Amino acid sequence: MIDNPYVPLLFFMTLGLLFAAGSVGAGQLIGPKKANAAKAMPYECGLQPSPKAEEGGRVPIKYYLTAMLFIIFDVESLFLFPFAVAFNQLGLFALVEMVLFVITVFVAYAYVWRRGGLNWD
Amino acid sequence: MTSTGEAWAFWILATVAVVTALVLLLARKAVHAAFGMAASMVALGAIFLAQQAPFLGVVHVFVYSGAVMMLFLFVVMLVGVDHADSLVETLPGQRFWSTVLALGLAALLMTGIGRVNYTGTADLSAVNADPGNVPAMAGLIFGRYVWVFEITSLLLITAAMAGMVLAQRQRLTPKATQREWSERRIRSNTHVAGLPNPGVYARHNAVDTPALQPDGSISALSINRTLKARGQVASPVEHVEAEERIQREITEGRTR
Amino acid sequence: MNQEFTMVEINYWAIAPLLVVVAGALIGVLVEAFVARASRHNVQLGVGLVTYLAALVVLLAKSRTEHGLTMGGSVVIDGPSVFLMAVILCFALLSLLVMAERFGGPAADAFTPMGAATPGSDLERSAESAGWGTTEAVPLMMISVVGMMLFVSSGDLLTMFVALEVLSLPLYVLTGLARRRRLLSQEAALKYFLLGSFSSAFFLFGAALLYGYAGSVDIARIALAIGAASPVLDGLLLPGVALVLIGLLFKVGAVPFHAWTPDAYQGAPTPVTGFMAAATKIAAFGAILRLAYVGLSGNRWDWEPALIAIAALTMVIGAVMTVTQTDVKRLLAYSSIAHAGFILVAVMSFDVTGVSGAMFYLVCYGFTTIAAFALVTLVRHEGSEATDLSQWAGLGRRSPVVAGAFAICLLAFAGIPLTSGFTAKFAAFAPAISHGGAAGAWLVVIGVLASAVTAYVYFRIIVTMFFEEGAGDVVAITPSTLTTIAIAIGLVLTILLGVLPGPVLEAATQSAQFLR
Repeated sequence: MIDNPYVPLLFFMTLGLLFAAGSVGAGQLIGPKKANAAKAMPYECGLQPSPKAEEGGRVPIKYYLTAMLFIIFDVESLFLFPFAVAFNQLGLFALVEMVLFVITVFVAYAYVWRRGGLNWD
Repeated sequence: MTSTGEAWAFWILATVAVVTALVLLLARKAVHAAFGMAASMVALGAIFLAQQAPFLGVVHVFVYSGAVMMLFLFVVMLVGVDHADSLVETLPGQRFWSTVLALGLAALLMTGIGRVNYTGTADLSAVNADPGNVPAMAGLIFGRYVWVFEITSLLLITAAMAGMVLAQRQRLTPKATQREWSERRIRSNTHVAGLPNPGVYARHNAVDTPALQPDGSISALSINRTLKARGQVASPVEHVEAEERIQREITEGRTR
Repeated sequence: MNQEFTMVEINYWAIAPLLVVVAGALIGVLVEAFVARASRHNVQLGVGLVTYLAALVVLLAKSRTEHGLTMGGSVVIDGPSVFLMAVILCFALLSLLVMAERFGGPAADAFTPMGAATPGSDLERSAESAGWGTTEAVPLMMISVVGMMLFVSSGDLLTMFVALEVLSLPLYVLTGLARRRRLLSQEAALKYFLLGSFSSAFFLFGAALLYGYAGSVDIARIALAIGAASPVLDGLLLPGVALVLIGLLFKVGAVPFHAWTPDAYQGAPTPVTGFMAAATKIAAFGAILRLAYVGLSGNRWDWEPALIAIAALTMVIGAVMTVTQTDVKRLLAYSSIAHAGFILVAVMSFDVTGVSGAMFYLVCYGFTTIAAFALVTLVRHEGSEATDLSQWAGLGRRSPVVAGAFAICLLAFAGIPLTSGFTAKFAAFAPAISHGGAAGAWLVVIGVLASAVTAYVYFRIIVTMFFEEGAGDVVAITPSTLTTIAIAIGLVLTILLGVLPGPVLEAATQSAQFLR
């Protein structure tokens, strides 16, 4: 039973769940509960968050663009990982291929940068 | 046969994956669908892990539950968090017939695939020991499928261009710099020292709260035009009152 | 580590045309990044033309003879793939000439000044008056061409899937970039994208099932596995074949997977529509031919009936729906659906002459289509395209050249002798008669009837153009030299392939043998 490779996994999942539940529960149990208007505010200083979620607020598409650009380079890094791990076996050919791949993706980067896609205004 | 542990893991994770995938499909609120997708992807990633494919499992959680999920959330923010699908059928009977056809297709596929019977045990431990899971993947990516790998970069370029072309608004004129603004101010001789700052109160300090003038009236100039247009200007009254309350408490405390 | 990493063998001459177009696309993207906006249009046009020409030269001079598998089996260079790649490059060249049309303005007329601006907004108007344009269209198109060339030459389902995505994604974007009727264009792009990704998912699911069946994604290995017939895994084969074919038939717009075609064709910028109609069809039929003739021919008795039914349905519904259309672009879209059905008839003959017939048909249809859509861009009402059929009334009296040229295209679509349409239909239907058996004969009968129905529509348009009185404010504007060249090449080949089909038919026949 203890040899099963899933046991550590199970152990960690249980530990994670316990920790999460414990932290939330402990706060509920032992924290003082005195409500006032200032505490209900998201920030002590600063603007009220906008757009407000409870009004079904919508945010500009700029955020989405940034997320999408992130994914492009995220996917690139996924390919870098096995390349890096197996670099010793792969040799020069794979290095050349990886460099070509990275150059191609950096062409996209140059395009986005020059177009102003990385500016926030 | 698979080990009991693996079988248990499979049945639990598969149930989670399918149920949450159905949530993704059927939830009326975009947020619920997003949660369904995240859970489904995590369950799938865990299945990959259980199948001795750690790289695939981790990548799955990384890309889908991490990055794609984030995109999904931004879409939710784009359309508004409370946005729900309209359930009006534009084509009469469409939902009925699509359900019938979808179930038919599912039945056909299941009868076909259900007949399949694999023998032997699928075991990756030999490959995972030597050359190792990730190096084996690397061997395929940079070996047999290197061409596919290279061509994939074109997809990434297309994605970048598509995002830029369809969603990034470019400025027609360059944005005025701080220097240009100050020169403009001095030339026109209005608000040469700059516009008044927003209000700073004992209990609050934010750009959406207007400053008060010496006579106690609100200074309209101290608020950004955008916030005004969006109707996001906060009222300073509560802060002033809070301040007065504190003041009162302090004075009361002194006299007590 | 006792497992050595093995490098794939690369025949650089074989993949050189692909590499040339990839390089061109990358240069195009860099041009977007580093060249001043004012000169981008001309630079991009130059880059595009040089790229396509160079790729064509390399393909015909070097890669043509490099038959065989390369890149570990991902790329197959054989007769059909070389022929279809060459044709795709020719179509890309012509389409680029039409796409670059400016009508005297500062930017390409077909594309929006700023795709991200809200339609009808001040931002869009000021971008327009500043002379902005979407020059990204050229590199996007080049990426799409890479995908198409790879699609007809891919030797395994994984490469085929990535090629499918590489060819489709730029097309989705291009569809949404029309200068006029922005909302319609964006809607078309969204529909095309959603349905397209749905069909890609079908393809991928099918490919996964076939992998489960054969233990490999290589088309040749799948053929071997089908030949070896393992009854325990049989349940995977037919669903796999069906799902893969659904994904491919979607791309050619076969009924019942055609729903996107009219909307996408109508909403897309007209030159892009011409490119999609001509080149995407080639790419998808190239893949269908390879799968049907090489990979899946072993169990074709199982899926042939379904494909025959789809071919018949495609012809009938395409023809009948053509009759009811009032918009020229939608009409040509339904006509392209009917043509897809005719090509499927040739595919269903399962003979080497069927391959050459289908390829010849694709060549004829493509040249005529590009010319036809280019002519549609010329007919204007108050500056924007007049696509409603009623607006074309009397066009033959006001602009006899454009109306006459369009009439030639329509005659070719109808399959009238002395046009390429006739020889193409003959080349497509003859193998079905001689090798398709009873089903082939029936399909040909349906095909001839469907042609008659569509011929009625085309003649009705010709009558409208030449014999009806119309409002005088719809006119054909004069195109630039480049567009004129593209239209002229399309028309000359439409006639030439009808009168002297010999050389091209010969080339198609000689390249009809798939490498197995």
